[in-house]
Amino acid sequence: MSGIGELDRPETPRSPGAWDERSRTCLTDGGHGTDAAPTAGDAGAAASSLGTEMDEGGEGVRSAEDRQYAKDRQYAKDRLHAEDRRHTDHSDRIGGSRAADGRDDRADRGDDERDGAGRVDGPRESGIRTGGIREGGLREGGGREDGGREGGAAGGEARDVRQSPSASTARRAAADPVKGLLHRHRDLCERAVDPLEIAAGLEAHGVTDRTAARFRHRDVFSLAEEMYARVPRDGDTPARPDETPTPRPRTAGVLLALLPGVLCAATVAVLHLTEGRPRLIAAAVGLLAVTLALGAALRRGPLSASTRTTSTWTCWLVGYALLGDGLLRNAVTGGPDGLPDGTADGPWPVTVAPVLALALSYAPAVGCAHLFAAGARRKLSSSRGLADFSASVRPLLLGTFALYLGALAALLALTGAVLGEPAAHPQTLTLGALLLLARLLTVHGHAHASTLVLTTTAAVEAAALATLFAGRLPGCGFLTAPVEALVAVCGPAGVPTAACGIGALTLLIHASRRLTRASAHASTERTR
Amino acid sequence: MDNRPSRHLLVRIRSSRCEPPGQRRLPKREIGGARVRIGLLTEGGYPYVSGEAGLWCDRLVRGLEQHEFDVYALSRTEREEAEGWVPLPPQVGRVRTAPLWETTDDGAVHGRRARRRFAECYGELATALCTAAPGGPAGSPEGLAEGQSALEADRFANALYGLAELARDEGGLPAALRSETAVRALERACRAPGAHRSAREARVPDLLTVAARLERALRPLSLDWYEDDDLGSVDLCHAASGGTAALPGLLARHFCDVPLLVTEYGVRLRAHYLTEPDSSPAIRSLLASFHGRLAAETYRRAAVITPGNTHARRWQERCGADRAKLRTVHPGMDAAPFAEAGESPECADPRTLVWVGRVEPAKDLVSLLHAFAEIRRAEPAARLRIVGSPFGTEGAAYLAHCKGLAAQLFPDEADGPHAVGRNPVSFEETGGPELPTRADAYASGALVVLSSVVEGFPSGLVEAMFCGRATVSTDVGAVVEAIGGTGLVVPPRNPRALAEACVALLRDPERRERLGAAARARALELFTVEQNITAFHSIYLEILSRTPVRRVVLDDTGAPLPFAVPAEAHVPGRWSDPTARIAARGGPSPGPSPSPGPGAVRSGPGWATDGPVRAAAPVSATEGAAR
Repeated sequence: MSGIGELDRPETPRSPGAWDERSRTCLTDGGHGTDAAPTAGDAGAAASSLGTEMDEGGEGVRSAEDRQYAKDRQYAKDRLHAEDRRHTDHSDRIGGSRAADGRDDRADRGDDERDGAGRVDGPRESGIRTGGIREGGLREGGGREDGGREGGAAGGEARDVRQSPSASTARRAAADPVKGLLHRHRDLCERAVDPLEIAAGLEAHGVTDRTAARFRHRDVFSLAEEMYARVPRDGDTPARPDETPTPRPRTAGVLLALLPGVLCAATVAVLHLTEGRPRLIAAAVGLLAVTLALGAALRRGPLSASTRTTSTWTCWLVGYALLGDGLLRNAVTGGPDGLPDGTADGPWPVTVAPVLALALSYAPAVGCAHLFAAGARRKLSSSRGLADFSASVRPLLLGTFALYLGALAALLALTGAVLGEPAAHPQTLTLGALLLLARLLTVHGHAHASTLVLTTTAAVEAAALATLFAGRLPGCGFLTAPVEALVAVCGPAGVPTAACGIGALTLLIHASRRLTRASAHASTERTR
Repeated sequence: MDNRPSRHLLVRIRSSRCEPPGQRRLPKREIGGARVRIGLLTEGGYPYVSGEAGLWCDRLVRGLEQHEFDVYALSRTEREEAEGWVPLPPQVGRVRTAPLWETTDDGAVHGRRARRRFAECYGELATALCTAAPGGPAGSPEGLAEGQSALEADRFANALYGLAELARDEGGLPAALRSETAVRALERACRAPGAHRSAREARVPDLLTVAARLERALRPLSLDWYEDDDLGSVDLCHAASGGTAALPGLLARHFCDVPLLVTEYGVRLRAHYLTEPDSSPAIRSLLASFHGRLAAETYRRAAVITPGNTHARRWQERCGADRAKLRTVHPGMDAAPFAEAGESPECADPRTLVWVGRVEPAKDLVSLLHAFAEIRRAEPAARLRIVGSPFGTEGAAYLAHCKGLAAQLFPDEADGPHAVGRNPVSFEETGGPELPTRADAYASGALVVLSSVVEGFPSGLVEAMFCGRATVSTDVGAVVEAIGGTGLVVPPRNPRALAEACVALLRDPERRERLGAAARARALELFTVEQNITAFHSIYLEILSRTPVRRVVLDDTGAPLPFAVPAEAHVPGRWSDPTARIAARGGPSPGPSPSPGPGAVRSGPGWATDGPVRAAAPVSATEGAAR
């Protein structure tokens, strides 16, 4: 049995008791216009007029509040212009369901007859308010149930009036019983988007169909409909709860973002200080450390992607930035004559400054991605529509992109000055732009395009090198013509600049269309 | 006829058997009954250990061993899936699972035509969700409004099936449901004239949330369960709950005409209202509209709907269920532990009142203690045992509060000047040497009291009824439905009425005994596991007889083969040689069928399987099951 209906179990009531002080004062305050304290006779008369509307039965005590209630009720009727129809409808329905439940019901009734007297004994003698309901409410057989219930309720009230010190309160409550309920569940009613939500909330607070009968309603649903109709709804949207604050960058995250740059700088320093075999070992260890640090850093923070990424092509592109220019220059002139020795003036010169700048620029990249994500989230909650959102995010995207390029350029100048190498601005800036855009697209769920562009760029660079070497084969000299022409015009930096520049431009156009969509910034939650 | 190769989202399929096929025991057959192959659809439920309605489904499956069950389970969380399955009985033929928690992507990219088709269907769906008539999905049943709401229901259904067909033909639905197209369609529908008031207020984050939630709720559309050898091969689908779990059943009915039976112990729409009070109005409104429309469509297509209690039944009627299809099947509870207590009513202490349950504020023990103070005034020898452990920190605080109140109200008292005194109210827990089980707790008192202010289905009350104890309970939840006339019912929060009812029973042992016997008889008739299983058994047979799945078997040339599936296909027992018998039991052939028409799957008895269609070698039961 344990699991069954676990969701169906109503929640704990949060409101205070049925007749708490608040409701009582509210009701007493609301009815200063009552002229005479109702006597037991009045209520008795109300009780005797079974089947009549309460407004008619309580003729003698029609106070200001009664009139107000009648007005409210009329309003409710106007809003739910099917009230009467529904009543007849409901009586049919209840009759029908009883017939359908025949066996069960017969059993109940038999039991009722056997033990009926005992069942109502206690409440009746003690004059409890609901005693009348029990009597009137459970013994009906369809037809004009409402009258029976109202009469019963009023009868109960009549007995109550004789004993209870707060007789007038009870009497006024009888005139508009729903008002107290509305007051108690005001939050629920104002929040509700439809009557069924009120019905669900009422049931969770222990209101049953038998309780609803006390409010002269067939069932909780029709009671909820009246409450839904009676709660004033001005057009104001309720105050929206503040959005969850964007995650602040933590110290660990910041350190992790700085780690690749620091490791790379350390490696470069060691390379400069060592010679020969130790330099080779230092280069290998440094390469491994930087790669591992980058992998660890990419696994968390704003640049972490849930999908698989193309690290191979990224490595190839960075490797080209390190070795490619030297190789290209040598290949055009017939080299290379030896393996790279880690210096810029060897037979195969190594350009360390751009790679160091790229590694150091990982931290600004993380910062820019964080800025972009946080800004987009803020825009998401503040914009009115999807078009509005796209329009406001596009400058944000371009701004963060430009910020990163600026940071990268500054780092390039710095590393170039420190290492004494000529600053390789164009090819490094385009490469950085390409890598950042590809990563941003992957993070926001558009991995396809970024993979495609990265692969193409790497292939173009590889092809440029390959054509140079293939041109040395007999009869294939024509292959080298385009690359040599490009190198003649722009120098060896022209090849990576052109490849990465075209790739970055493609990705920028793609990103300015894809990353400005709201669906790219939907949070993907996972249920644990 | 769709013979294209399948490009659907592949769902991980676990090995479906928990015992090796060699040890498999042959199912018992009942003479005169029929063998029904049931597709049991669950969401976060049955085969998983931590499933919500697991116990109920387990009892059902174990109780109906003459039928076959294929379990199709959707898991809600990763943890649930990691905790594994309950041991499955041999009548469970195959188990297929799909996660609802993972963001899945089958990598299929839609072409232009598929994109347009998706945009159309999703737009229709969004429009149907946004134009909910105020007053619930059922709306006020009036002439024009009724026509309008029927139109909206049709629009919702068409959009739903359109999306399902798109997923079947092209795949790639999960990605499309999260795409910008979907969000834009939602926005357009929310801003359209005639949209619901709260939907008009939807902002961008709301739209994104709704799109993500709809994607999750509609995930069953992308599963590959609706093939002829999966849900197409069962005789009926039994959804263990409404909502997302019933969605595969709806699609099976749409694609393969399999009748659907829906069992609901709690209505999904109501759970939605109660579990999401803090979301923004637009989210609540749109999702409520979705759940309401899905429920209405489920009820419209279902052959039979079985609510677990009158409360669920009322909600189902409210959501548009046809009364003719509703059959209340009460939850079954195991009566065996309470049999001993129920058959020996004389062993109870005639002056003791018992309260058993989980201690929490909703149980209103304070009111019970006040009532007991009045009882003591009338019957000084009366004692009260409160048996139960606190539930959560709130419950622990409440228990401490109640203990303090009891100590204040009732000082310890002793029988004589030389005896050690004790308090007339005792707080105990089951599991100790004095009260090993709940049955002992019930048995120790002459009267069982329930004082809750809110209650769902009162299982504790039913246990007391099994024990044959007279009860006094408050009129909350399904108490009156459970107790019928076999116990006293008083209004909630009314200690005086509670006290008077208790005193009346304490003073009248004969009436107490009569009520207890009547309660036990009622519980044994209505709330036993056997009753539950019998009810479902007969409902299965009824559905099978009323809406048999008509499957057309085609011969080699593609023409329908008359009398290929005779009525005896459903008759249990062995009709021919063993190999053919296994083929009949194992269902469709696992290999590529020579003519994979939409219907050529149901194998008949042995002599019918030798027809031209069943060219595949007789399938061993293992293969059939382990797929």
